[in-house]
Amino acid sequence: MAPPAQSQRSQSPSQPSGKSEVSDLKLQLRQLAGSRAPGVDDSKRELFKKVISYMTIGIDVSSLFGEMVMCSATSDIVLKKMCYLYVGNYAKVNPDLALLTINFLQRDCHDEDPMIRGLALRSLCSLRVANLVEYLVGPLGSGLKDSNSYVRTVAVVGVLKLYHISASTCVDADFPSTLKHLMLNDPDTQIVANCLSALEEIWSAEASTSEEAAREREALISKPFIYYLLNRIKEFSEWAQCLVLELVTKYVPSDSSEIFDIMNLLEDRLQHANGAVVLATVKVFLQLTLSMTDVHQQVYERIKAPLLTLVSSGSPEQSYAVLSHLHLLVMRAPYVFSSDYKHFYCQYNEPSYVKRLKLEMLTAVANESNTYEIVTELCEYAANVDIPIARESIRAVGKIALQQYDVNAIVDRLLQFLEMEKDYVTAEALVLVKDLLRKYPQWSHDCIAVVGNISSKNVQEPKAKAALIWMLGEYSQDMQDAPYILESLVENWDEEHSAEVRLHLLTAVMKCFFKRPPETQSALGAALAAGIGDFHQDVHDRALFYYRILRYNVSVAERVVNPPKQAVSVFADTQSSEIKDRIFDEFNSLSVLYQKSSYMFTDKEHRGPLEFADELGNLSIGEAAHNVISSQRVEENDKDLLLTTAEKEETRGSSNNGSVYAVPYDSSTSVFASQTQIESAISNPTTAGHSQHASFGIDDLLGLGMPAVPDVASPPQLKLNTKAALDPNAFQQKWRQLPVALSQELSLSPQAVASLTVPQALLRHMQSHSIHCIASGGQSPNFKFFFFAQKYEEPSNYLVECIINTTSAKAQVKIKADDQRTSQAFSSLFELALSKFGTP
Amino acid sequence: MLQCIFLLSDSGEVMLEKQLTGHRVDRSICDWFWDHVISQGDSLKSQPVIASPTHYLFQVVREGITFLACTQVEMPPLMGIEFLCRVSDVLSDYLGGLNEDVIKDNFVIVYELLDEMIDNGFPLTTEPNILREMIAPPNIVSKVLSVVTGNSSNVSDTLPGATGSCIPWRAADPKYANNEVYVDLVEEMDAVINRDGVLVKCEVYGEVRVNSHLSGLPDLTLSFANPSILDDVRFHPCVRFRPWESHQILSFVPPDGEFKLMSYRVKKLKSTPIYVKPQLSSDAGKCRVNVLVGIRNDHGKTIDSITLQFQLPPCILSADLTSNTGTVNILGNKTCSWSIGRIPKDKTPSLSGTLVLESELERLHVFPTFRVGFKIMGVALSGLQIDKLDLKTAPSRLYKGFRALTRAGEFEVRS
Repeated sequence: MAPPAQSQRSQSPSQPSGKSEVSDLKLQLRQLAGSRAPGVDDSKRELFKKVISYMTIGIDVSSLFGEMVMCSATSDIVLKKMCYLYVGNYAKVNPDLALLTINFLQRDCHDEDPMIRGLALRSLCSLRVANLVEYLVGPLGSGLKDSNSYVRTVAVVGVLKLYHISASTCVDADFPSTLKHLMLNDPDTQIVANCLSALEEIWSAEASTSEEAAREREALISKPFIYYLLNRIKEFSEWAQCLVLELVTKYVPSDSSEIFDIMNLLEDRLQHANGAVVLATVKVFLQLTLSMTDVHQQVYERIKAPLLTLVSSGSPEQSYAVLSHLHLLVMRAPYVFSSDYKHFYCQYNEPSYVKRLKLEMLTAVANESNTYEIVTELCEYAANVDIPIARESIRAVGKIALQQYDVNAIVDRLLQFLEMEKDYVTAEALVLVKDLLRKYPQWSHDCIAVVGNISSKNVQEPKAKAALIWMLGEYSQDMQDAPYILESLVENWDEEHSAEVRLHLLTAVMKCFFKRPPETQSALGAALAAGIGDFHQDVHDRALFYYRILRYNVSVAERVVNPPKQAVSVFADTQSSEIKDRIFDEFNSLSVLYQKSSYMFTDKEHRGPLEFADELGNLSIGEAAHNVISSQRVEENDKDLLLTTAEKEETRGSSNNGSVYAVPYDSSTSVFASQTQIESAISNPTTAGHSQHASFGIDDLLGLGMPAVPDVASPPQLKLNTKAALDPNAFQQKWRQLPVALSQELSLSPQAVASLTVPQALLRHMQSHSIHCIASGGQSPNFKFFFFAQKYEEPSNYLVECIINTTSAKAQVKIKADDQRTSQAFSSLFELALSKFGTP
Repeated sequence: MLQCIFLLSDSGEVMLEKQLTGHRVDRSICDWFWDHVISQGDSLKSQPVIASPTHYLFQVVREGITFLACTQVEMPPLMGIEFLCRVSDVLSDYLGGLNEDVIKDNFVIVYELLDEMIDNGFPLTTEPNILREMIAPPNIVSKVLSVVTGNSSNVSDTLPGATGSCIPWRAADPKYANNEVYVDLVEEMDAVINRDGVLVKCEVYGEVRVNSHLSGLPDLTLSFANPSILDDVRFHPCVRFRPWESHQILSFVPPDGEFKLMSYRVKKLKSTPIYVKPQLSSDAGKCRVNVLVGIRNDHGKTIDSITLQFQLPPCILSADLTSNTGTVNILGNKTCSWSIGRIPKDKTPSLSGTLVLESELERLHVFPTFRVGFKIMGVALSGLQIDKLDLKTAPSRLYKGFRALTRAGEFEVRS
């Protein structure tokens, strides 16, 4: 058909610019435009198809706009559709030419075929050109009154489109109230649903400026309207049902009988073939019964089967979404699913993202009764062809071991892994055995016997190597050749690329030295020499420090480097319960899939750098822990913080809130932590480990000078340390040990209440009064804070629990103090600081 | 709400783009997505919901075609995923399968369908029956028709009656000379047999498929002899819930044509129809394989098209496998497939041979999983039995038919 075009193409075969083809098409379209010859529609159709296909591959065919419009006078509906498609795509960039199309679209809006009326109206509204809105109002108005429901359906969505192009035009034409009338009276449920979604959007947007809109929006979740929808729910299409159910979750029933009525009415929705409907119903059930503990538990039982069916019978993509939700539920009620663990067994063909979630589920549902079966199953995956999954399943075994009390069988399995002679299996198992030993020291004999047989040459992964070295150091008295293994590792110091491993090696050699001095001495000398000469700052620092402390006093050094250890009872959870609660409130949303509350990722500002969003983790105790590590850095950060959003602040603390597998010695932050202890041990052996000294210790060590800035705000009788430091664990320990010195209720000023929208506001304020926050949380109106403060130049701490309710403007304060006599003075200081909150 | 839908070919080329809202989504998102997929190694490995720097992406991959949808706002994730699944179902139904060529040849129809399925980012109707009335599928009949009549429009002249009726899944008043209704029980058995030969999991996923060609508004009731064995059921929207709840009776007005009336699960079954016993023993760099397959308990029906598939571990250099029944093929990607067909009466099918391991390996540490396929006509292994099917105001000539079929679903035997 187009020989010239073809010859053009051959000139540039790799990159068809499409220019010659487009101009060729232009010519042909022009010829056809006025023609009325028979069969002209067919040739037009061929040409249109070509144009659209170019458009689809991304070639710019906007230059054909005029010709396309000229050819659009036709009765052929396929031609019309293609033309509408074309026009809709390019109208926005060609607003002037778009005017040309208005005429024929408007004419089509009055066609006698309802299909054409609907299509034309849809295309007209999809042009989305601001200067054409005046032409929209008329057709939309008549479309909303059309006798055919298809046209009305299209018109309702059209109103929403119009609203987004020009809100004022839409409101001036009184469309919202027309929609409301349709919503309440139209027999076609699709129209009702479309009205609902349109009005929800319009009124939410208008609510900030118009009181009436706000009232109307409220009315959507009023009892009569909700009942109107619920009573017809079966007539709605499945997608519209999702919309209605979403609205129902916002409705607050007046009493429990109403709750049961709604649940009875919706129960069969749990059997719906569409997973989206099922999940929306589950959300309604969970939300309705949130305050009724018993019923809430029954709801878990009721929703279990439908959810499990969705997992096993849907496509992998659906399974993934449902499993994410199940994971959330199982965290809240592990026992509900504990007998259904077999549903979470991995199938060979499943994609790894599903398998990974299933492994998490298996870990979460494991309890005394099913652990044996679950661990047996997990062990089979360790021989899986899919290596990442094999690794994950070994980790899962370890996690289960750490959360169970009866671990006999599991330890045996882990030790079998060590003997499997697969490098990645050995590596994962080593890390786990190390964690296990920290929790269950009683197993050391069995484990060490096996670990001792592993040749360090077969372990290459840094994490595993570090774990092995840690065990060599920790149990060197039980392992015959530990000093020699360490020695050979020290000899190969230069070949060890991971700083983490080198740090561990230093500590392990030290520990070994204390236990078996004659055998280790030479290795220690070599290690310290190599460490001091290391290019990595942390390694260098640690080696130098070990060297100095050994010269100072060997027995002090032993107390510092190898003190008796307490078994770890609970490893820190990676996600705080507050975040989990918040995500739970956002059930059936993307938050669940990301395991992050939506405010952490849907905010426009955070949408940009998503890597950042990934790090965004957990509002938790880590907040203040950062202060401990380096007060200097926090102050710098504070300047940034004032400029950015409140959310950002929460992200800061999370970075050192490591995974379950993090060992206290393996990050650079913990180097500081151990050093703090050490320093204090030197300067004041009697109060070793006391944190105030510790903080001075750091400053000394880092040469920052004394933080001797007197606090201006504090009254003369009690001065607080502006750079107080306390790590969260020490805080928890103290909080448990100390009695409550003072308990009182304080009133908040209205300004204070107004300023307290997020916990961070108060945090910053109190920090300026030398009262530091170690953990905070809650949502309006209830907030909870844990503060601490330290006496200036004295190792005396004050701990405060402060629960604030903004609706009653009251704060419940509990104070605990190392020095009980000064607690009254501190209390008045705290009160003063709190009373200043909110005042400029 | 979804803002845009893209269809990508298996080489990442954008085959189709459908903007849904005023916020135009730039095509460059597809490049980002494709880079992401490549970094994951395989489109099947990347998660169904991904966060890109600008949008949240839903992706569903079917037959090499990636259905990609973008959104910037919070929304129910299953709504996005389910919708894309439906789009792929409807397209493959319309076009008689999914592949790059068929979509490129019929992109106008795809556009038309998407236009009716979703408006302004919100799904409207995904019922195939209704769509079929709005947009005629490009089948041979309509092609012939268009040649004969010269009317080549594939859009039906009338609007679907159902859009206005209160039974959205049924077109108003079809008329048939022969009234027929067929009910099929189609079951899939999922089973996992672990390394020690223990049946760790065995359940049946079943569907009741109905093909109805009945005039007027037929009101059907279907009852089972033993409904109590069903663990969890899901229904087509046409099924009335109350009769099921009180008497376990399915009462419904069916859509016209073929549809899935209900799906169910039967858990905790005790046995499988066939057994597979793999034995692998390795030493000195070689692994001896011996697999036996046989009938466990006789259902009285023949077991057809028995197949066995497994992936050879990557550490295997070569394999030499032979069988006494059926044929053994080792494909390029180290997949070994043994098709047995029916089990002969006089001998037990067995597969045996040796695998040669990589030079430095003594023994095998990664063991293959055997995936088993079979088909049994005329029996539903869950034991579910249809009691009767009644039609209120039955027409004079009504033909009712019942069939059952069980096949292997995810049936795997670990070694």
